[in-house]
This record gives sequence, structure tokens and C-alpha cells, in this order.
Amino acid sequence: MDTAIRNTIRRLRFDHSEMTQQELADKIGVTRQTVNAIELSKYSPSLEVAFRIAAVFGVPLDEVFQYDGKGVKR
Amino acid sequence: MSFREKSAWISFVSLVVVFGAYFSYIGMVLAGLTSNRFALFLVMVAVFIIAEVVLHIVIATQSPRDARTPKDEREQLIELKATRTAFYVLLVSAFGSIGTVHLRLSDPDDHLWLMMQAILFSIVFAEAVKFARQIVLYRRDA
Repeated sequence: MDTAIRNTIRRLRFDHSEMTQQELADKIGVTRQTVNAIELSKYSPSLEVAFRIAAVFGVPLDEVFQYDGKGVKR
Repeated sequence: MSFREKSAWISFVSLVVVFGAYFSYIGMVLAGLTSNRFALFLVMVAVFIIAEVVLHIVIATQSPRDARTPKDEREQLIELKATRTAFYVLLVSAFGSIGTVHLRLSDPDDHLWLMMQAILFSIVFAEAVKFARQIVLYRRDA
């Protein structure tokens, strides 16, 4: 199931010397499969991992992740 | 396929094969086709442990780096979700095991034996559900 959070990780990896998913995974301390799930918006990472990803690319958090939902359902 | 997913597959298949054989035997005992041997349970537990260890060594040698890497947050979440599902399965099947005391058996001692087998089945079934749920969650996120 897709999450409501979109991201630009794939483009950011490409812009950073075509960094592989494994290289990013090693830098942020998760598995390659988890990076892939985040990229495909199938898994929303914790705030800590989200900040680590932004730190690796040297960009603000909102440049990596964007909320795509229509608000909280009640 | 990740190391953790392979691990879940190994545990699931080992559990189903080994204890499937054991509970088939218990079915034959219930049908009166053979006599009960408790030692068989201990043998099956030993076979299960050996199969788990050997097969995990095989996949660890194929991807030693993944095997050494601790579980990350997504893998921990998958394990927690699967454990929660298995808990409810165990809860229901444990109550079902208690229900075996109401069966009409000729020998009262058979109640104890049957309830023990039912509790063992509950544990094995809950574990199988846990590994199956892990596999489904790994596949869905793949």
C-alpha cells in the first residue's frame, strides 16, 4: 500500500554522482530493500531516518519529502 | 530477495514440513492407527532446529553482509506486525485447546494428552502465521 508521502530520493541519488541504493542505505543505517521501499513510497521512514537522508544529500527535509495527502481522515 | 525474507521463508517451510509430519502422526494416533511416542516430538524439535541452523548458515554464507546487518526500523516493524497477528491466533487457538476437555474420551488421561497436543499445535500454528505474515509484508513492500 502506498503512503501519502512522496519523495525525490531517486533524483537526489542521481544528482549525487549516481549514488546507489546500497550506498545510501549504508550511510543512513538501513537495508537496501528499505531504501527501495521508501523510494517507491511504500514505507514512510521514521523522522530520524528522514533527517539522515536529508543530511546525506545536504538539503532541507522538505526538499526530500513532500506530503501528498488531503488531510487527516476522521 | 532480502536475507530477512529468505530467513522467514526458511522458518515457515521448516515449521510446516517438520511439524506437519508430526501432527499427521498425531492424527494417525487419534484414528487408532498407531500408538503414541512422546520421543517423536523431541526428535521433530531437534530436526527443526538442525534444519533452521543449517539453512540459515547457507543463506548467511551467500550474503554475509546482510546477515551481519542488524534489523532496521522497517524490518522491526514487519516483525512487530507479524507478532501481533500471531498473538491473536495463539489466543484463539489456546482457548480452543481448553475446549478439548469437553470431548468424550474413554480414558480420562487422554484428555491431558489431547490438550497438550492441541496447545502444541496452537503454538506451531501461531508461529507459522507469524512467518507467513512476515513474508506477505516483505513481498508487499518489495
